[in-house]
Amino acid sequence: MKASSARYLVGQGMKSIWRNRMMSFASFCIILVSLLMVGMSVLVTINLNRIISGIEDQSEAAVTIKDDIGEDRRKALEKHISAISNVATVEFYSKDEAWKNMKEDMSDEQQDLFRYADDNPLPDTFRVTVKDISMMGDTAVQIELLEDVDSVKSPTQFADVLVSIKNILMIIMTCVIAALIVVCLIIISNTTRASVFARRKEINIMKYVGATNTFIRIPFFIEGMVVGIFAAGAALLLTKFAYEGVYNIFKNDMSLWSILGVDNLYPFSKMFMKVTVAYLASGAVIGALGTSISASKHLKV
Amino acid sequence: MVEFKDVSVTYSSGVDALNGINLKIKDGDFAFVVGSSGAGKSTLIKLILKEIDATEGTVLVNGFNLSKLRRGKVPALRRTIGVVFQDFRLIPTMTVYENVAFVLRVIDAPAKYIRSRVPYVISLVGLEDKAKSYPTELSGGEQQRVALARALVNDPKLIIADEPTGNIDPALSYEIVDLLRSINECGTTVLMVTHEHDLVRYFGGRIININKGEIAFDEVIGGTNRNESK
Repeated sequence: MKASSARYLVGQGMKSIWRNRMMSFASFCIILVSLLMVGMSVLVTINLNRIISGIEDQSEAAVTIKDDIGEDRRKALEKHISAISNVATVEFYSKDEAWKNMKEDMSDEQQDLFRYADDNPLPDTFRVTVKDISMMGDTAVQIELLEDVDSVKSPTQFADVLVSIKNILMIIMTCVIAALIVVCLIIISNTTRASVFARRKEINIMKYVGATNTFIRIPFFIEGMVVGIFAAGAALLLTKFAYEGVYNIFKNDMSLWSILGVDNLYPFSKMFMKVTVAYLASGAVIGALGTSISASKHLKV
Repeated sequence: MVEFKDVSVTYSSGVDALNGINLKIKDGDFAFVVGSSGAGKSTLIKLILKEIDATEGTVLVNGFNLSKLRRGKVPALRRTIGVVFQDFRLIPTMTVYENVAFVLRVIDAPAKYIRSRVPYVISLVGLEDKAKSYPTELSGGEQQRVALARALVNDPKLIIADEPTGNIDPALSYEIVDLLRSINECGTTVLMVTHEHDLVRYFGGRIININKGEIAFDEVIGGTNRNESK
């Protein structure tokens, strides 16, 4: 194909957008809404996953050490615990520190009760976090079997609940996203089909004067791709505003912050490149393929 | 050249549209195809354009054996044929110039050739001053002349005119056939389907009458005087 013909076909694709502006606008809106629905759902899923992972990271087991084992044995025990494959971090929490923190958390009246106590009744502990929270129970048993360990208190029930919530949430969100994708593809395919159907006579004429199928498809392909890219651009802007709006609400509201931890939400700037590429690629592919596949249905003349 | 050898067409509905037709139209011929509705005229044209395939027999058009022609080669066949339809079939979103130039763009003609050939062909049909107009801004006769220019621009071996005067003023019908005649005089084969018997009687020439899917009459008759007909 000559460069002049390629220029002509690209030009025809661009002109068609304006010539068929109502149908182009309909395709634009449908692709925009579809990308927004699927994109927002994916972002919500990613953040929910991150929040739950954040809570998981914070849940730790408290390992009580036997009294007066001495520093050498304590360090050896710390080494043994760290060597367990599912253990992420091990932090020593001395009885003195625990006693001090406990008193700070008490009211004045409660503190009076302990004012004349001679001994610190609290034990030395290790705070242990794990890599995989679903294995928390097994890891706790492994630690409990070690010498110099008095007892292990682990939030196994909480861990199980978290894992269940995460699994159910992932299944629900995957189903919602899959259903949205199917619904969007059906709507987009119908819109592009209507757009092409309105121009079936034009396609018919092209066939009669000897145009090849590729020659007829290229302008439709370009037209669909450009409309898809514009829709993706608009979807990106709307997603940015909506996402940042919600993100700022969490950031500014301390009570919500304390529940979820804003650190566990991704700021939009961190995801901007990935979201941009995903939106533009999806918009271009959906627009181009949707329109050219619909055009193919009228090529059998 | 167009040649039909024992061609039959039976549609999936069971209707026999053509029954064992034998027909030969030589290069440079001008022929009218006449017949009542449902006689098989449209089927004949659909066969030539390879819109449909013959159930039996062989169809040869401009050196292509249509029974053996693959789908991918159909555009090559159609580029040797210019078609003029009753309803003009111009692209409404393109100007007269663009409608005519479109055919040359399809065959990847050089831009320089398009710039010189298109105005020339538009002038042949007398529409130089309408080159920038859109089809909706033209009369029926003018639209049909654009369709003729489009059919001509690629210098085809064969022009098929399917009821080209059906949608235009009767007085203008003679102009359109005159144009087709002059194109024929330059060597292009013309096959004109019509049911306007006055027009056929007036111009005369080779008349192919199709009736119930068979050729009822294929002869050359003399034309009457133009002034008498009008």
